[in-house]
Order: sequence, then C-alpha cells, then structure tokens
Amino acid sequence: MKKIVMSAILASFLLLFGCSKKKEEEVKVPADTGKEIKAAFVYVGPVGDGGWTFAHDLGRQVMAKLPYVKDVTFIESVPEGAESTRIITSLAQKGYNLIFTTSFGYMDPTIEVASKFPDVVFMHCSGYKAAENVGTYFGRIYQPRYLSGMVAGKMTKTNIIGYVAAFPIPEVIRGINAFTLGVRSVNPDAVVKVVWTQTWFDPAKERDAADSLLDVKADVITMHQDTPAPLQAAEKRGAYAIGYNSDMAAQVPGAWLTAPIWNWGSIYTQVAEQVHNGTWKSEQLWYGLEHNLVDMAPMSKLVPEDVQALVNEKKAQLASGNDDIFTGPIKDNKGNVAVEEGKSLTDAEKLSMNFLVEGVQGSIPE
Amino acid sequence: MIRFEKRKDISKYFAMTAPFVSVLLALTTAGCIMLFAGVNPLKAYMGMFHESLGSVYGITETLVKATPLIFTGLGVSVAFRMKIWNIGADGQLYMGAIGASWVALFSGLTGFAAMIGMFLAAAFCGGLWASVAGFLKAKVRVNEIIVTLLMNYIAAAWVSYLVYGPWKDPKGFNFPITQRFSPDIMLSHFMTYRLNTGFLLAVALVIILYILVEKTIWGYEIKVIGDNPNAAKYAGIKIDRSIIGVMFLSGALAGIAGYVEVAGVQGRLQEGISQGYGYTAIIVAWLAGRSAIGVLIVSVIMAVILVGGDSLQILMQLPVAFVNMFQGLILFFILASDFFIHNKISIRRSGK
Amino acid sequence: MEPILKIDSVVKTFPGVRALDGVCLNIYEGEIHTLLGENGAGKSTLMNVLNGLYSPDSGNIVIDGSPYIFKSPKDSIRAGIGMVHQHFMLVYSHTVFENILLAVEDIPFFFSRKRLKKRITEIIRKFNISIDLDEPIWKLSIGQQQWVELIKLLLRDCRVLILDEPTAVLTPQEADRLFRFLKQLRSEGKSIIFISHKMREVMELSDRVTILKKGSSVKELLRGSFDENILAGLMIGTDDVPVWEKTEKTFDSIILSIEHLYADKDKNMSDLIDFSIDLRKGEILGIAGVAGNGQKTLAEVLTGLKNPKAGKITTGGTDITNADSRQSHIAGIAHVPEDRKAMGIAPEMSVDDNLILKSYKNKKFRKLFMQNRKAIEENAREQIDAFAIKTGPKGTPVRLLSGGNIQKVIIARELSLRPSVLVALYPTRGLDIGSAEYVHKVIMDAREQDMSTILISEDLDELLKLSDRIAVMFRGEITGVVDPKKTTREEIGLLMSGETLP
Repeated sequence: MKKIVMSAILASFLLLFGCSKKKEEEVKVPADTGKEIKAAFVYVGPVGDGGWTFAHDLGRQVMAKLPYVKDVTFIESVPEGAESTRIITSLAQKGYNLIFTTSFGYMDPTIEVASKFPDVVFMHCSGYKAAENVGTYFGRIYQPRYLSGMVAGKMTKTNIIGYVAAFPIPEVIRGINAFTLGVRSVNPDAVVKVVWTQTWFDPAKERDAADSLLDVKADVITMHQDTPAPLQAAEKRGAYAIGYNSDMAAQVPGAWLTAPIWNWGSIYTQVAEQVHNGTWKSEQLWYGLEHNLVDMAPMSKLVPEDVQALVNEKKAQLASGNDDIFTGPIKDNKGNVAVEEGKSLTDAEKLSMNFLVEGVQGSIPE
Repeated sequence: MIRFEKRKDISKYFAMTAPFVSVLLALTTAGCIMLFAGVNPLKAYMGMFHESLGSVYGITETLVKATPLIFTGLGVSVAFRMKIWNIGADGQLYMGAIGASWVALFSGLTGFAAMIGMFLAAAFCGGLWASVAGFLKAKVRVNEIIVTLLMNYIAAAWVSYLVYGPWKDPKGFNFPITQRFSPDIMLSHFMTYRLNTGFLLAVALVIILYILVEKTIWGYEIKVIGDNPNAAKYAGIKIDRSIIGVMFLSGALAGIAGYVEVAGVQGRLQEGISQGYGYTAIIVAWLAGRSAIGVLIVSVIMAVILVGGDSLQILMQLPVAFVNMFQGLILFFILASDFFIHNKISIRRSGK
Repeated sequence: MEPILKIDSVVKTFPGVRALDGVCLNIYEGEIHTLLGENGAGKSTLMNVLNGLYSPDSGNIVIDGSPYIFKSPKDSIRAGIGMVHQHFMLVYSHTVFENILLAVEDIPFFFSRKRLKKRITEIIRKFNISIDLDEPIWKLSIGQQQWVELIKLLLRDCRVLILDEPTAVLTPQEADRLFRFLKQLRSEGKSIIFISHKMREVMELSDRVTILKKGSSVKELLRGSFDENILAGLMIGTDDVPVWEKTEKTFDSIILSIEHLYADKDKNMSDLIDFSIDLRKGEILGIAGVAGNGQKTLAEVLTGLKNPKAGKITTGGTDITNADSRQSHIAGIAHVPEDRKAMGIAPEMSVDDNLILKSYKNKKFRKLFMQNRKAIEENAREQIDAFAIKTGPKGTPVRLLSGGNIQKVIIARELSLRPSVLVALYPTRGLDIGSAEYVHKVIMDAREQDMSTILISEDLDELLKLSDRIAVMFRGEITGVVDPKKTTREEIGLLMSGETLP
C-alpha cells in the first residue's frame, strides 16, 4: 500500500514539473496560401558524427528557417533495412508531409511506405528507385573530388596518395575515379592506393586503414567515410589530409588541405519550396557545383597560391556546366579502354560505374 | 558489512508487485532525467504508449518486433531449463537466416514447398550451429557460454561474406544485399500491416514448447537435469545426449527467428537482420522465469519498450543515446527487482 | 595450565538438525589433540566454527583467556588458527611460491620477493621438506601439495593447526614423514588438532583425545588412559542393544552374488579389494565400517553408477556387472543414496515428480511421449498416504520438506518399484528419532515381503537391530561377517579398525 501511495506522489510530482515547463507557443507567422511543411529526416548515423549525417543535419537546420516550415524533426541512428520501415511509417502517420530518407539502405523501405501514404512526399537520397510520390536526390560530389584530387596531386612528394573507402558501390567508385583523374591531370606519376573498410562509420577501422596506407608511404590521405578518424591518423604521422562531407579544418589544422563537401541546405530549401507551392513532382535530382549542392571547402594555407588558382579555375569551368571529368580517353587500371576518345559517360553510366581508372592501385572486391 | 542472502520463502505478493514497482522506479528515474532535458515525462510516456499500443498499426508493429524475441527467447529459455546458457541465439538466428535464404534464392523450390523448405533449413542450420556448443559441452566439458558467444561473431561474418560475395544481388549496385525473395514465398501479412504469419508461428511454438517442457517425458528429463544433474544420472537419464538435443532445439528456435525475419520482414538476406535479438533474448528468458508463456509476455513488453522508444526521438526530439539509456534503465531496474525477489540484504555492523 | 584455545558449550543448529549440542574442547600449548567421532558427529561443523565459516548460536571461543567472535576466516587466521582442509585450497596453475604468497596477509604493495623467499626457504630447511618453490602446483604429488598448505600456515605463525584427515590422501611413507613433522611442531610449542578415523595414527600421535558423538563431546582422555578398544567403544557407544521383533526366517535362495569385486579409487574413498559376498533372498545384510572405507563405492557399483574394474555381480542369473543405473533398476536393485539432497532428489521439483524419478518412463506414467499426470498424481497420493509423508501444499518443491520427509520420499519411490534388492546408504543419517524409526519399520516390512536389503550404516545400533548378518568393511575389504545376535560391539569395533577376529 505504502508503495502505491509513494508512486502516486511521485507521479503528481512529475506532472507538476512537466506542466510548468510548458513551452510558449511560437508567434504565428501570417500564413500564406501554400501548404505548411512538416518535415522529417531519417538519419543513418548520429547527428554528431561530424560526417554524413552531420552534413545533412546542417542542411535540415537551414531548411527549418523557412517561414512555412512548421516543424522539422529527425531520427538518428536508424538501422537500414526492416527496422527503418517502422520508423518511416511512424513519421508518415504522425502527419509529416515531407520525409527525407538519407541513406541508400532506406530505398526499399521508402518505396514501400510511400505506397501507403500517397499524400506524403518522400525524398530518398542516393537511391535509384522512384515513385509518384518518391523523388531521389543526390549530388555530383565527384566534381569537387576531382578538384581535391588536383590539390593532392600537387601536394604529394612520394607520389603515393591513400584513399580510405567504405563500400565498393558506384558512388564510392565514382569518387575514387574522379579523384584519381584529378590527381593525374596535374601529376601523371602519382598513384592512388585504395583500402576498403566495408563500413561507413567505424573510427577504429578507418584509422587502421589510414595507418596501413601511411605505412606504405602515402603522404596525402583522403577518404570516403563518415568519421574524421583517417584524417587524424594522417595528422599524427605528418601527412596531408583531404576530408569529406563537411569542413573539418578545425579538427586537423596541421594536415588539412581541403575537402569535397555537401551543402544539403540548398536542395532541402528547394524541395520544401516546391512542396509548399505545389509545384513538386517526382524527379531524380543530381545536382553539382552549378547548384551549389556540392562544393570545395576553402583550401588551407598549406596549399600554395598557384595551386589554389589552378583549382579555382577548373572549379569555375565545372560550375559553368562544362563537366568533362569522365570524357575519354580514359583507361581502367587493367589497361582496357574504359571511355573512348571523344566520348563522355552518360549519367546512367556514371551511376552504375564499376571500374577503377588507371592510376588506382586496388581492385573492386567481388 | 552488507550481505546478500538467498531468500528461503519468496512471498507471492512481493514477487508479483516487485516488477511493477521496479518499472515505476525506472520510469521515475528516467523522468527526472527527462526533466533535466526539458521534456515533460508524462507526455513522453503517453507518446510511448501511443506509439506502441495506441493504434492498430502500433500494436502490429509491436508484435512484429516481439516475434523474433519470442523465438530466440524460447530458445534461450529451453536451454536455461537445463542450466545451459545459450548466449549464441544471435548467431543461430543468422545461421537460420542463411539457411532460409539459400532455399529462397538457390533451391529452385517455389510457393508452399519453398516456405516449408525455408522453415526447415532455418531450424536445421540454427540447430546445428548451437549443437556444436552442445557437443563440446557434453563431450569435452567446454564452457558453452564462451563457445556460443564467440560463434555469434563467426555467424555474422558468414552473413557478411555471403552478401558481399557470392550471394550479392547482381543488380544491387554492389550494395551488400541479396536479391529480393519472390513475393510468393514471403510470409503473408495481416491486412496492409507488416504483422505476418511469423507471429502466429511464434505463438504456436510457445504452446508447443510449453507442452514439450511441462507435459512430456522429454521435458521431465530436462527439468531433472537442470535441477540436479546427479539425480538425473542416478535416475538413469543420458545427460550428454540431452545436452546436445536441447542445444539443437534451442538453436533451431533461434534459427526460425532468422527465417521469420528474412521471409516476413526483410525479404532478403543482409547484415544487421538481428537488432541484437539474441542478446535481448537472454534477458527475456531470465525475466520469463523459464516459462514459455512468460517468454511470450515478456517479449511483448520488451517490444513495447523498444517500439515506444522511437517516439521519444520523434516527438520529444531526445537523442538516440537517451532512448538507449532509457531502455537500459528499465532493464536494469527489472533485473534488480528480480534479484531482490530472490535475495535479501542484511547489514551487519562489524566489530568484535 | 590454562588451555590456549577453549571451546565452551558451543551450540550450532541448522534447520532440522542440532549439529553441535554444547561441545567443549580444550587445546593446550604443545600438544596433539585428536578429535574422534563418527561421520555426522559434528567434527566438520566444529572445525568450521573454529574457522570462522559458521558463527555459533551460543557458547564461547576463548583464546588466551579472552573470548573471540570469528566473523570470517580472516578473523580466525588473525587469532592464530590455521587449517589444512581435506580439499586443498591451492591455485593449480600457479607456482608454489605464488600460492604461498596468496596466504600471506599484509603484504605491502611493494615487497621484496627475495626476503620472503628466504623466509620460506628457512622453514623448508628446518623441517627438511623437499619442494621446489618455482614448480607449479599441478606438477606436485598430493603429499607435496599438503606441504604447501602447511608452509602457508607456518608462515602465518599459526599457533593452532587443524588437520582434517590429513593421511586420507597420503601413502604410508608420506604419512610417516607428516607424523615426524607434527611431532617436531609439537616440540616447538605448536598445538595441533588432528582429525582421523585411523586408530593406529590416533594411538601413535595423540596426547589427548576428545570424543564427539551426536554433536556433543562425550569424553576427554589423556595419553595413557586410552587404548584402541576404549576409543572404539566410546565412539560407537555402549547403550543396550535395542531388540527388534524380527520374525525368524530361513534364507535359502541367493538373490545377488558379488564375486571378487575390484573398483577404482574415487576421491578420498577407499576402493574395493577382492570384495565377495552373497545376498540371500529376504535378508537384511548390514555393512558396518567407518565411513570412507569403500561403502559408497560398493553401493555405486551395485547400482550401476560406477563400473567395477574386475569381478562379477549377478542377480537371478543375469550378469549386471557393467550396467548403467537404469538397467540395474530393471534388474531389481533400488538405491537409497548416501547424500539425499545431492543425489536422491531434484530439489526444485514437486513431490509428485520426485516420486517418479526412476519410473517416469514406465507405461503406467505415460501416454506415448506425454506424461500421464493423472497417474502420477494418483501414485503420489498413494505413496504419501502409505509413507505418511508431510508434503505441504500441492506442488511444493521437495527441498522445502524436512530431512525425514525427503528420505521418506526417496524410500517410497525406491520401494514402489517393488525391487528385489534395496541398497540403502546411511538411510537414517541426520534424521530425528521418529523418522529414523519409521525408516526402520519400512525396511523391516519390506523384509517380510521377501525383499533383500544391503544396509550400509555407521550406526551400530541400527545395524544390530535390523540386520540378519553384519559384514564389516575396512579399506575396501571385508574384515569379518558376524551374527548380530551373537556379536558384541567390541568385536565389531575391532573389525572396523582393521583387525581380524581370532
């Protein structure tokens, strides 16, 4: 009996405190005619990962500032596969009318849930399946990768550059190839050594991979990973580091050169606006430097002026829409011709890229 | 000096109320932390309840989550009856998923035959995986905890090998997943929900296991061995054979969990099928007090906590770390109550 | 002279048992004091009290005139009392030195291994022990392991050393060396509490003997005032033999014959050596002897829990020499095991379930794979009525029953199989008089039904009362077979200590 009384007291205590904390209702923005946006983001990692999810969350915060965006929520560390189905459904049920799923593994769940909620707009990042109410979006990160490759090619002294890569999927392969083409455009003797970690987010594994590259005399380390661990390994051993996802100059000041980075905010605002105006329709967006979805982090002082100028010149060309990165002649690293002279890869070919270009030391695991 | 003593007689009233009190304490503790985070705990708890039990959808999702816990919980629990600790339900689940996936993708069977084949292959693979530990324990007295635990990693590595290598979907853009199973061999769903016949299978197995353990001669043998191996030997029970048999059954049940996950929910083999179900199963079996019916109830409660936890993130914007901590707190308090049901504390002053 | 250690009217009860009932013991400086008593007389409990493992319900432990309360073994060690257990407390993978190190209290965080080693070496040299400090324990013989235990005590400067049946595990040569060592310790003023059953050793070593019986100290004797016969007599007791109204029977057929049985040694028990005896139909064959002389091995071999090394056991023409317990049971041998709780029951299960422990596979109790609960409950009701078992509410775990009722459950189960032979080990040990009487009556009733019983017991009263013949065992051999109507306690006592009758 005593216990029941005790718990009743405790419960009322909680109630009291709970109520007194009630939030002040925010001042109503005069509603314009369009649809109010309640957006939700599904993240594969924690927002504090400093990488992929962090970059998306920066974009989410930009979007949240739009006046007609009433509510923006997110769920972090959602496992890919079946577990995500429940989360996405739950968000749709709670009245969120614009849902971003930000990892490839959410592709099937997104399509599945979308079929049950025709009024909700879904945007899936990095996948290839779309539907009436499911659009896809991604960025041509290979463009800044090419640029960062140019920086690496100029900075290396050993002519060995280390690349810590997650999974051998076309997205990562494309990045490696663009980077290598960038390197070789300024330094035909340099090679890029690739180590696969088979994980997006595992600081220890990524650090080990970087260390193994440093052991074979790589003096520039770049990566396609979601933690800064490879960069930290590079700094510790006195090598240069080229990051990914967002500007991490502050974390590895002694090694930082630059990084291909995401500006998700631009695309998130664009989509929100379209949904708000009612102009949204299912598209497969693949934006590059021209839309500012991808960019280069400012090059650090370690990069000489002339190199910076060279890179900026190329950047201006790419941003103008003249993307000639995957234009032949390109050989793969087995000596075969991958892209004939005068030809360029189509977007579809880029999206299913499955070879490594000349200059890459490594192979695509079967 | 603080001493813990085993209680001789456990008061029924105390045993019944303690878990509830402990959950309440856990909720209160977590509530205080929520207050610090600026969240109204009552609102949060209402949200959790609503998420997991407040709608048909919520209930079906809770049962979907409970399904693998029931299978693995039963598996761990049946071994536990014999005082064998099967820490390897996770690995057995993966082996079951591999077995079922092989039948689905490569056996050439279709329709109902394929479903039966998947079920049997999953049970067999899971069972065989666990029997290795059973065999080592029975024949050379190797500690089954170590063996089953370490074999979890091997099983997970097998799944990785298959989905990165030979079983990789050729159209999957190199992503580590197999092809989708054809829809006609998937478990049928309840209306448009994800709840599938796997749950019914789980309930059926609860009943079968209850009968097996409580009503059959074989169950009697297990109980005697678990209670007093010397008495079992004295009664002429073949202990070694029973150990291997029980481990096979235990692993087979976990293997079926793998089958239901791939054929009912995922639709393909990939990494991370088990969200630590095999480990949660240990807690389930422990709290269920060795009874099959108890496993069913505790699994559903666990599922409520797990599914409800999502709402803390969605509604309250609490970080995932908080959700994990909250779930941990509840388990911790329940386990503590279990401890206090069976033990009493006495504080003795030291001195001459 | 004042005793350095005085145990004064110590009482210790466990649920249902009064293990120590006002024991008094005086240990003087520089003496070897033997503690003599049958198994279950309370020696182990008393030692555990001295050890700090049990705290007494009442009574005092007085050291050098001031009372002590031991809360843990640590307190006892600090008071200068050390014990060598029957089972050594050693870490087998560690070296001798490391094991000794474990025993030394108050080692500073940094210490000189060299100095400590020197101290140990001094002790080793003084007592002329051959042992290598850097050898791991598992490489040592049992005798050497015992030395390690002794060195630990000496290093701690124990004044009172307790040795619990130290020679049980030793060869005669090792035992002799141990005796010389003990005498040397005595001459240095150490006091030794020596526990043994072996009369020869007791006679050789003891300065003083205290005899324990049923939890109390019966007598304290000084060297010179005792001989083997007196001790045996005191240990066994001299009360009048209770007479049981036995019907006179003649035994004509042989039901079980044991021929030249040899069995392996198991832990500290003696093995069986050329053991032969015939059991006749309907008789009660008593087996007397101090515990640990092969009785348990005999029972286990007979009931098939253990295989003999050589020899033959036949029943009704069937060879059951190598058989697991199930087959023995089919051949009609039932078994009331020595340790009720450790072997006889599944403690968490109900009385109903325990009553079918041996017969759960019988057609009567099953329908195919399913248990026939109705028949099991019916059976339980019958047995509970027939044996007047007090069970508590239905489904109560059997461990909650009193010792007597647990024993009744076991006996009821064994007899319900209608066995032709019952092997009962110490069936009344630890039971109150009422329960013990009941067990006796049941065994006698079964005799009327022509069941044969092998009754293994230390309680001479019980043996004399029930048996048709008594065989006495010593170190795995039969030293004599006597007729309870004609024999005397003294005669049995002599046989128990290994002597043969003229």
